[in-house]
Amino acid sequence: MNVLAWIVLGLPFVAFLILLAPPKEPPRKLTRALAVAPIGIGFLLSVTIFGVYLSRPGDERLEVSSLWEWIDIGGLPVDLAIQVDDLTVYMMLVITGIGSMILLFATDYMEPDRDYRRFFAEMNFFVFSMLLLVMAGNFFFLIVGWGLVGLASYLLIGYYYDRPSAVAASKKAFVINVIGDVGMVLAAFLLVRELGTLDYGEVFARADSELGQGTGTSEAIAFLLLVGVAAKSAQFPLHTWLPDAMEGPTPVSALIHAATMVTAGVYLIVRCQVLYQNAPIASDTIAVIGAITLFFAATIAFMQEDIKRVLAWSTVSQIGYMIMGAGLGLYGAAMFHLLMHAFFKALLFLSAGAVIHALAGEQSLNRMGGLRRHLGWPTLGFLVGAFALAGIAPFSGFFSKDEILEQAIELGAFGISLAVVGTIGSVMTAFYAFRAYFRAFEGPDREGGYGHLHRTNWRMVIPIAVLTVGAAFAGWVQVPSGWHLIDDWLEPAFLAAPDVKATVTSEVIISLSTFVFGLAAIGLAWWMFGRGSEWRLRHANVLPGVRRVVEDQYMLNEVYDEVFVKSGKDLGDAMARDVEPGGVFRSVKTTVGVFLAAAAGLRWMQSGLVRSYVFVFIVGAAVIAAVVILSGVI
Amino acid sequence: MILAPFVAALFVIALPPQIGVLPVRAMAMVGALVALAANCYILAGFDRDGAELQFVDTQEWATQVGLEWNVGVDGIAIWLVLLTTVLFTLAIIATILRPPSREPQFLMLLLMGETALLGLFTANNLVLFYVFWEAMLIPFAFMIGIWGNEDRREALMRFVVYTMVGSLVMLVAVVGTAFVARDVTGQFTYEIQALRAVDFTETQSTLLFAGFALAFAIKLPLWPFHGWLPRAYGAAPLLVTALLAAVMSKAAVYGLLRVGVPVFPEGADNFTIPLLTLAVIGIVYGSVVAWRQDSMRMLIGYSSLAHLGFIVLGIMAFDVIGGQGAVLQMVNHGIVVAASFAIVAVISRAANREMIDSVSGLSAVAPRMAYVFLLVAMAALAIPGSNAFVGEFFILTGTFRWHVWAASLATIGIVYAAIYMLRLYQDSFMGPLRATGRATDAELTVKDAIYMAPLVLAMLFIAFYPAALVGATEASIKRAVAPAQIAADRPPEDIAEPVVPNPPPAVQPLPGDEPDLTAEDAGAPR
Repeated sequence: MNVLAWIVLGLPFVAFLILLAPPKEPPRKLTRALAVAPIGIGFLLSVTIFGVYLSRPGDERLEVSSLWEWIDIGGLPVDLAIQVDDLTVYMMLVITGIGSMILLFATDYMEPDRDYRRFFAEMNFFVFSMLLLVMAGNFFFLIVGWGLVGLASYLLIGYYYDRPSAVAASKKAFVINVIGDVGMVLAAFLLVRELGTLDYGEVFARADSELGQGTGTSEAIAFLLLVGVAAKSAQFPLHTWLPDAMEGPTPVSALIHAATMVTAGVYLIVRCQVLYQNAPIASDTIAVIGAITLFFAATIAFMQEDIKRVLAWSTVSQIGYMIMGAGLGLYGAAMFHLLMHAFFKALLFLSAGAVIHALAGEQSLNRMGGLRRHLGWPTLGFLVGAFALAGIAPFSGFFSKDEILEQAIELGAFGISLAVVGTIGSVMTAFYAFRAYFRAFEGPDREGGYGHLHRTNWRMVIPIAVLTVGAAFAGWVQVPSGWHLIDDWLEPAFLAAPDVKATVTSEVIISLSTFVFGLAAIGLAWWMFGRGSEWRLRHANVLPGVRRVVEDQYMLNEVYDEVFVKSGKDLGDAMARDVEPGGVFRSVKTTVGVFLAAAAGLRWMQSGLVRSYVFVFIVGAAVIAAVVILSGVI
Repeated sequence: MILAPFVAALFVIALPPQIGVLPVRAMAMVGALVALAANCYILAGFDRDGAELQFVDTQEWATQVGLEWNVGVDGIAIWLVLLTTVLFTLAIIATILRPPSREPQFLMLLLMGETALLGLFTANNLVLFYVFWEAMLIPFAFMIGIWGNEDRREALMRFVVYTMVGSLVMLVAVVGTAFVARDVTGQFTYEIQALRAVDFTETQSTLLFAGFALAFAIKLPLWPFHGWLPRAYGAAPLLVTALLAAVMSKAAVYGLLRVGVPVFPEGADNFTIPLLTLAVIGIVYGSVVAWRQDSMRMLIGYSSLAHLGFIVLGIMAFDVIGGQGAVLQMVNHGIVVAASFAIVAVISRAANREMIDSVSGLSAVAPRMAYVFLLVAMAALAIPGSNAFVGEFFILTGTFRWHVWAASLATIGIVYAAIYMLRLYQDSFMGPLRATGRATDAELTVKDAIYMAPLVLAMLFIAFYPAALVGATEASIKRAVAPAQIAADRPPEDIAEPVVPNPPPAVQPLPGDEPDLTAEDAGAPR
């Protein structure tokens, strides 16, 4: 299996190198083949690994393989190693499966772009980095993958490099991700200090006995990792980069900023569940952060006028559910929601992308309406995606989101209160998802009509169709009180998962309330937005203060700008312009001046003749050498 | 006895015939390549697990006062020697490809600089160390003074005065060390390996270490002794600035690791907290100031101040992981900073006086350069997966084990590195296209590629297989930091290796009584 796994990891990297190699833009057909094939083959190989593992008993579904001893430093060996277990395979399937669909879509979406191959080179680089992140066999290469996906994300957000907003967004994303990286490396330092190793196997085996339950060290490691989680998965308070990341091309938003990279934080918590089960305070904090994020992101999604930004905030909110679940120890449910979310969010982005493509780059909901009558597949895709996102039975999001909420109820008052937040958030989700749907696809056409619409060809339709099926039916793999295929599959990788089973009562309560209130929210959305812009424009000025605050994302960007960026700049300017030439220099200069004055006879040195200085130096050195020799003799 | 031919070869080459430019170029290249080849030969025969000096070459000089020609390499020195030979070879190639005025003299000074640095990195005698320490100042001073820009006089004065102050203090320390050592052991020697074993009292150790540390701090430069840096970096020709930052700055950290810490462990231990503090301040200060610079060259220059702070952390942590990381980072920083300055040189063809805001959006016309710059920028900000990340990660891992505060505060520098490097990259290569000169001049040409490709390849190689370097440093680092670990009262299981203090003094006569002192390094391979 190891060979296959290495091939899966290596293919996108090789494709990245080949795509970059030619000095001129290669033929587009070749680029297309080189871009999609590695990920597609990777998916088939991942399925093969999955099949083989399926036939094995649970305790044999773990293989570690090392390419070479990458470094051995002061008794701390780090191998370039991968670990393939159930969780890894699960993530590999998500990344390559969804990834190949999105790349296929992108071959058409990016057709008008003149930098065709750069896009696909960077996309393949991203897939490679993401696979490295989930396949790494130790914390070091986890961090390497973690950093490299940040780089790939940076490159792709700033893909349109001549657009200042894209450049600014990419920088913001990068810097926030580096803050996350710092949290991760500090956690790694702590692991080395306490355990002397970075290997998953050893760390997890020894964590219980050597780090201890609820000790300061365990909590510190978990909190430091949490910084990385919050930055990468766009959780409060480090979420501000993700909405801006929509500056990247839409397939990038679909793959990186919805389906895969931003869920890395969930993967990390599940992977490190042993550490988190030892750190109850950190785990509870994570759950609360998830709940805060899912709620506030949903409110912000109410106010967005850009179709991609609605989806971006819904991503922040949905990851909030996963993070909340993972913080509560509901690892199976969180991973289930991760997969379902990958399906429906990729679908929503691709459908939105098809719309944007058809409208030649238009993203504003104000300039849409009635598209149902013009675009077939994107409408179906968006509708199914919206149902799945809203968590309406029997679409996929219903099963996974409700599972998190149902199991949370079993965890006492803390769990119940979070479940209540989650349920309210779910109803809000249904509302904003259909607000976007009705405004874009229903009602009358926009003023002035559409004129010529770019046609969607098969390379766009197939991914949308496949993901539509996934978003519609994939939820059935895990049915309450029925079967739990995903939990069963991941069971061997769950080293420390508490066994939480939802009771029938909680299942009924949650399912009914999300279903009924969700439908009601959809109905409300239809009443407000389904019949054209009339109602919306009439009420555009209700509660202006509240609207402005929400539209400004609760002013967080402004606060960060004021507190961190501006004051940092001021400090830097003060140092560079005032202290540097004045303070430090002057103090040192004074010292030197005293020194020079003492050697008053050497005043002529200030004649500035370089040669004379050097001359003096040589003579001085000779004198000194003589003194040395003499003093040695004496 | 194995000779170290490259040093001798360079002495010959350093005085080339002054007729015609071609023979001079050829001679310069031969000199640099011979040094490089000799270096490869040594590398091939190097015992990676040995802690001792290897390829030792000893010639009598003035033995009755403890002076002798005594050079050799250990697992630390060999990488700095390699860095020096490679970077100077590339510098000579770059000079030949884009010749400055009075090219022969420039090449001669470059070769002299190379000789001095190679001598410094291989010296196993404190006086020899000091001589080369001074000698390296001369060619660099000339290069700043003759080929620098209009600010060169002020810059040169600062450079020389600062460095001289440090040198004089060091000279006192050098002499003092030998005399104090004689009082302790009855043996008069300047040999570094022998001095390591001398058991100084705490006061002696502290004072002597302070002397060396001051000299190193100025040369590094360590905040707040960096007053000469902005002027010198700003006024020197770009190539010289690159060599100052890439190679000469390593002389001081190398000295700290080679002389300061192993010879004066108690003193080093007493200075741990102050030096770590200064290093951390330097990291934060250098990063913040780098961010707000207007000139590309100064941005890289100040970032260098920050990066050297990391190396000092790794050394002063007295930790094997940190020390090995520091050696790796010396090499990494040399490569990356040289590549960064090379990039500034290319971009400045399209810019006005290397000002960051005089260009933007160059990606559109210089796509190849954009890739190379991105790669180098990512290495400079030490993104996980880059060669510089390996060094920084292990430096901080080692530091974190003993001084959590220092490692944690140093991570501020990691965040700021991302901010200032992205500022440089994005402001020049992203956004709408704009340039003071011809924008297409910023594209990478074949000439540029000749000297940049080796740097980029070296970065990639280290990123993929750092064990190649790091594996050879372990034994030497263990030897270097073990005494300091004992001085710092570390628990026994954390002491890298046992240390034998004070070799039996009986066999060693006082100076003047017995001229033959070579017996003391009988343990070294010949």
